[in-house]
Amino acid sequence: MRFIKKTHYNQDIQLFKHRGQLFWYGALGVALLLFPLVLSEFYLGELSLVFIYAIAGIGLMLLTGYTGLVSLGHAAFLAIGAYTHAYLLAQGWPFPVSLICATLLSSLVGAIIGIPALRMTGIYLAVATLAFAIIVEQVLIHWVSVTGGFRGMAVELPSIGSLSLSDSIAFYFLCLFVLTCCLFLAMNLLRTSTGRAMTAIRDSEISAQSMGIHLAYTKTLAFGISAGFTGLAGSLLAHKIGYLAPDSFTLLTSIQLLLMVVVGGLGSLHGVIYGALFIGLLPQALALLRDTLPPVLAQIPGLEPGIFGLILVLVLIYEPQGIYGRWLKIRNYFEEFPLYRKATHKRQRSYLRTERLK
Amino acid sequence: MSLLTANNLSLAFGGVHAVDDVSFSVNKGEVFSIIGPNGAGKTTLFNLISRLYDTSAGSIHFNGQDISQVPTHRIAELGIARTFQNTELFEQETVLRNLLIGQHVHRRTNLLQEFLFLPSARQQELSFRKDVEDVIDLLDLQHYRHQVIANLPYGVRKMVEVARALCIKPSLLLLDEPSSGLNPEETEDLSFQIEDINQEVGTTIIMVEHDMNLVSRTSTRVMALADGKLVAVGSPAEIQQHPEVLKAYLGE
Ligand SMILES: Nc1ncnc2c1ncn2[C@@H]1O[C@H](COP(=O)(O)OP(=O)(O)O)[C@@H](O)[C@H]1O
Ligand SMILES: [Mg+2]
Repeated sequence: MRFIKKTHYNQDIQLFKHRGQLFWYGALGVALLLFPLVLSEFYLGELSLVFIYAIAGIGLMLLTGYTGLVSLGHAAFLAIGAYTHAYLLAQGWPFPVSLICATLLSSLVGAIIGIPALRMTGIYLAVATLAFAIIVEQVLIHWVSVTGGFRGMAVELPSIGSLSLSDSIAFYFLCLFVLTCCLFLAMNLLRTSTGRAMTAIRDSEISAQSMGIHLAYTKTLAFGISAGFTGLAGSLLAHKIGYLAPDSFTLLTSIQLLLMVVVGGLGSLHGVIYGALFIGLLPQALALLRDTLPPVLAQIPGLEPGIFGLILVLVLIYEPQGIYGRWLKIRNYFEEFPLYRKATHKRQRSYLRTERLK
Repeated sequence: MSLLTANNLSLAFGGVHAVDDVSFSVNKGEVFSIIGPNGAGKTTLFNLISRLYDTSAGSIHFNGQDISQVPTHRIAELGIARTFQNTELFEQETVLRNLLIGQHVHRRTNLLQEFLFLPSARQQELSFRKDVEDVIDLLDLQHYRHQVIANLPYGVRKMVEVARALCIKPSLLLLDEPSSGLNPEETEDLSFQIEDINQEVGTTIIMVEHDMNLVSRTSTRVMALADGKLVAVGSPAEIQQHPEVLKAYLGE
């Protein structure tokens, strides 16, 4: 166990709570900066994709993991970000301006979607967001003058001024930089009033109201912020896939995003990273697995979504706190060894709430 | 001087008159207790004052202002804080974060300052934390600061809820059965803490409570309710002797 002597309230506010943490995150940062020296172009590309997923995941985590609002339509915000960015670039807008405008537009649409979603929770909200995603898909197909319809549209190469960001190393650093900024923003949000108001709504709407939290405003805000992050990820994704078509953003994409935050661990930003690694690298693992399977099994259509679904169900049953929760338990085991007790992570007492207001 | 006044307050759920034409007034600085058998309408009365329910008839004035139409989330800002009979805490958060959420009404930062954690945001966090620590000291919660609510024993949860309400710095505090589920020792502590909150912090308290011992030790006045109707208001001693009150408790 580590005991930290605290002498100032600032210590509880810091992003890094103690030297050890600072050291390990520093080491991780250095490793990430050195990767381009050792990794092949293919794996750099895969890592860039993981970073992009993580940015989108931050958005969905803020909404689902922290505010408690489930969305089955986040692929729509990915699409809005991607298409807006590609369209503005094609109109000759500079890359950074276009990126920011795509983010803001996704955010605005998110906030507008948030308004009718205010009265809904749980499964109803999930269905409503799903319906929204389907509408967006239809718009992408039919608004041919902007989106190119089924034919799709090519995405221009990223560059800032004369500096090209299109080769895999430059793009890797671009994604890493944006992800770092997004993590910083999200962590700040979560250690101040608005972030706390979001978690309050997740845990008890009645109490949140009695603490002076405006439910409608905070939920709308959460939707807007969430959609903004996801839209930003979408604009980067546009460059990654190079050519946008409506079938790049389907229900399966939305489910993958949800899978990412649930498998990673709801209610933690660490979970976003673990989840992004998981869904970013799983297709590779499945491809390898496919090669070793007998052809009869390997040819089954829908193997990939099937395995995604199976993993989601298994995680919900056996480790509702996701990969990050499992990691905390393992770490705890080693820190307390040999004193660790099996019941450490069991709820000690749970209370029946007989007279809930709802 | 009266802080809260209810005039002919009523609320019916279908055919059940949960609160039926109740009028009373609570003075600044009082500890005003509400007693009555289960189902008398005590919790419903609190839900009316904290605007979780709309009144079907009558009005509530707080500090001279009619609050019967005020939106729910504005009640805390006006200076009314409450606890819940079976606790409604933010279960997955630590005690510290629960109390910081209690400070929400005092925030002055905007979204940009929070996203960038500008010096104004840091300053605000530090001042929130200082105020939270004062409440933690007042209610002896030092040991639990970093613990997650879901792992805490019931007695502690009850105190955390009182602490969270105090973080609003309310002028009126509503406590719904604060001693239910507490052991005798915790109840003893509670009576001192209620005195501290009332006298040192200067908060007016309305308390729903079954423990007559606690009620008579702390309260200036007591109101008895039965079947949604007001039975009697008076000093603790008067109420305990009141024939109508005894009848309400013992039945016919
Ligand atoms: N949300 C509700 N819907 C329907 N009936 C309710 C509701 N809340 C309370 N009641 C009824 O109102 C009456 C008063 O309840 P309550 O205020 O909880 O009593 P107390 O707190 O005094 O025990 C009871 O008969 C109860 O069944
Ligand atoms: Mg009650």
